[in-house]
Amino acid sequence: MYESKSGFFKKYVDEVGLNPNVGTWAWFLHRLTGVILVLYLFMHLFVLSSSLAGGETFNKWLSTVQNPVFHFLEIGLVAVVAFHLLNGLRITITDFFFLTKPHKTIFWIAMITFLVLMVITLIVFLPRVFSHH
Amino acid sequence: MNQKPKKGSAYGWLFQRITGIFLAFFLILHFQVLHFTKEWKIDFDVVTHRLDSTAWVIFYLIFVPAGLFHAFNGAWQVIGDYRPKLGIQKTVKALLWVLGIAISAYGYYLIVTFTKGA
Repeated sequence: MYESKSGFFKKYVDEVGLNPNVGTWAWFLHRLTGVILVLYLFMHLFVLSSSLAGGETFNKWLSTVQNPVFHFLEIGLVAVVAFHLLNGLRITITDFFFLTKPHKTIFWIAMITFLVLMVITLIVFLPRVFSHH
Repeated sequence: MNQKPKKGSAYGWLFQRITGIFLAFFLILHFQVLHFTKEWKIDFDVVTHRLDSTAWVIFYLIFVPAGLFHAFNGAWQVIGDYRPKLGIQKTVKALLWVLGIAISAYGYYLIVTFTKGA
């Protein structure tokens, strides 16, 4: 890999600049969504931890994270998970079945699946964002 | 220059893919059950009721360490992008293993809390 002493984020931007193909973008976005998911995991664990203080405390926390703002953010969470999952399957398929040559085609198939999933997600989640309860 | 590649292990690569396949199925199920149902509001009773079933307990017992392995092994790969010095590599790797096992144990403890119910 290209060696640079540039900053935390610039390193990745440089990499995309050196090889501006879909594969590099997929790699960059896989890294980015992965890091977001690791950080999310800690938040998830934090909310679940409230159960140790009993059911009532747990419910209090859950009602905090089940409001329209969080339901809106959940659409983003689904997007991050869906991209990482579908691109991850693409990487696994290309690795295990020696499909390096058509990897770009597989990427676009994954992205069409991503778009379909996001349309379904919006149909399911948007009413929750605009519901008053 | 005729440099021989360093001997390494591909277990990290392999298990990232194996846990990834598991997580793909687990996460789809996890989202389906928690967010894509008509009764999408979650509270303590809903969670404890689900954990009355042994199948769900087994599901979470696999889900927690698989997710944490995938997360921390992935973080390890991202750290590797920055080519840290060997000493730092060893320290970070040990730290990630300790943290991963500790959080898995904590996750199991939380699962037990939910199985006890209200």
